[in-house]
Amino acid sequence: MRLNTKYFGEISYEAEDVLEFPNGLFGFESEKQFLLLPFAGSDGNMLCLQSTRQSTPAFIAMNPFALKPDYAPVLSGEELRQLGAARSEDLCYYVMCVVREPVGESTVNLRCPVAVNPDLRRAMQVILDTEEYHMRHRLDEFSGGGGD
Amino acid sequence: MLVLSRKEGESLVIGEEISITILSVEPGGQVNIGICAPKEVLVLRSELQKAASVNQDAASTASATLVDELRSAMVHRQTEAPRQPDHFGKND
Repeated sequence: MRLNTKYFGEISYEAEDVLEFPNGLFGFESEKQFLLLPFAGSDGNMLCLQSTRQSTPAFIAMNPFALKPDYAPVLSGEELRQLGAARSEDLCYYVMCVVREPVGESTVNLRCPVAVNPDLRRAMQVILDTEEYHMRHRLDEFSGGGGD
Repeated sequence: MLVLSRKEGESLVIGEEISITILSVEPGGQVNIGICAPKEVLVLRSELQKAASVNQDAASTASATLVDELRSAMVHRQTEAPRQPDHFGKND
């Protein structure tokens, strides 16, 4: 299948590349299918969550553990059930980025990560039941850590 | 904000068609609330509305140039060593 993407031009993809979002995203409940496209030169830590219907919406998503190594999202029993996972630790997480100028003022939503079951290619955005993470963490609040 | 007190099992009425009942209060503080409202009235947890608004902001697509700046800031952030204080003062 082919798609005209926001940041990567026209690409081709297979059905098995598609992530199914049974509940869509908050505010975008009708968008049920996305591709996760990594940006070259980001070590896989910055990606585009690209709708398969058309070139928008396309969100910038980040690997939260690259920003905050001790990030520990805990999902509810119902959320785990919907994702077909036994434990929160079994899933992959991405956080949505609001891009601003200058880029240090960009924010990431640690409170509402996108949780992905990579085996089932199923995903949902959740709201974590904790005060520890917020919806708009400035990127420049995360200090650089040494990479592996 | 109008402030009222209700006990478990008691209700409030809003306008002509909306009623709110306190169903139960759990030991951890969680309050279970029942809402009767017409289908066309949207009822959401506040965080859900806030999350939708943050997603709307995230969907405002940034230019490819800005996104590339962001990408290189991310990579720089990961490999940058912690800043050391500048010990080299002026020549006296």
